[in-house]
Amino acid sequence: MGPTVTTRILLVDDHPIVREGLKTVLLRRPGWEVVGEASNGAEALEKAGTLVPDVMVLDVTMPKMNGLEVCRLIRQKMPAMEVLFVTQHDSPQMMREALSAGAKGYVVKSNAARDLLEAIELVSQHRVFTSLARPDSVTPD
Amino acid sequence: MKLRILLADDHEIVRRGLAALLQRHEGWEVCGEASDGREAVQKAKLLKPDVVIVDIGMPNLNGLEATRQLIQHDPNFRIIVLTVTDADQVVREALDAGARGFVLKSDAARDLVSAIEALQSKRMFFTPRVNELLLAGFLEKGHAISRKEPPVLPTLTAREREITQLLAEGRSSKEAASLLNLSTKTVETHRSNIMRKLNLHSIRDLVVYAIKNKLIQIDMGPETPSTPVVPPVPQETVEPAIERRPA
Repeated sequence: MGPTVTTRILLVDDHPIVREGLKTVLLRRPGWEVVGEASNGAEALEKAGTLVPDVMVLDVTMPKMNGLEVCRLIRQKMPAMEVLFVTQHDSPQMMREALSAGAKGYVVKSNAARDLLEAIELVSQHRVFTSLARPDSVTPD
Repeated sequence: MKLRILLADDHEIVRRGLAALLQRHEGWEVCGEASDGREAVQKAKLLKPDVVIVDIGMPNLNGLEATRQLIQHDPNFRIIVLTVTDADQVVREALDAGARGFVLKSDAARDLVSAIEALQSKRMFFTPRVNELLLAGFLEKGHAISRKEPPVLPTLTAREREITQLLAEGRSSKEAASLLNLSTKTVETHRSNIMRKLNLHSIRDLVVYAIKNKLIQIDMGPETPSTPVVPPVPQETVEPAIERRPA
């Protein structure tokens, strides 16, 4: 019998190869399960509704509907679900926009292999995690 | 004997995805990984892989320059370029650089295995759009690819293109010199030559040139519009629990 599933994760990115890479990291953690994948914003919303994951790992730039819009809708319709952005945008402004949209986490893709497990750990506990590749570029509000 | 593949992409998560995909294929192995073009060139020379997979948009030395350097070192290198776009100019530059395969990142999960198999059989692999472009060029001019526009980077040497990328990425002449094992004075001389040849007058002009000519990539916003004005994150919702990691 396998480990008890503690965290159910939906992966959303328009590049299958990135989803594959994310899975190789996530599958290291016993008890975490990738319950589904989506390649655009509309599909993400549909799968979130049917699969009801604990955490949605979400890209920003995607066809049909971008991740920020998906995040806002998820926060309105399914407030128990947490959103973690994994994105190429290494930008404090984008990070603020993501958190303002209701995400609990923000990880740049260049740090994803290092930070993803810790980020999901915290986000699934409704805590905030952020990681930019260039933290010196963070300017105070 | 296994087919040995070298992966070069600046995102570890992408390399992991590519490695997972390729290692499912019996008889193939990932013999090395590189996170920028310079490391790719070094490792390819050292490891002599059967196939090199190179992302175009990488720091320090982009994938096109890395491809040029490898082909110049040994024309038998079999290189597949991974790219986010198959725009005409990118295709043209990749082919000119000596790539034998051209795969869109968005289609890599589907096309990469076919591309490697093609190269194994001493064939080339291109996306359908690149094939159309090649055919159109061939039919129009009896040439491998249409050249309605003049090549964009003919006046710069390989070394000058490397230095242009490094300066446009924000490195000083001293930093560029250190990376390239040159003296600062030599880099300054190259820099003056670059500015003169391209008729540029400032680093800002150089950055614009580098972006226009795909020597560096810029971070674009989300494809579909989002809220234009970003309100500050409310302190009470973020600050108490925030975990900020250093790079």
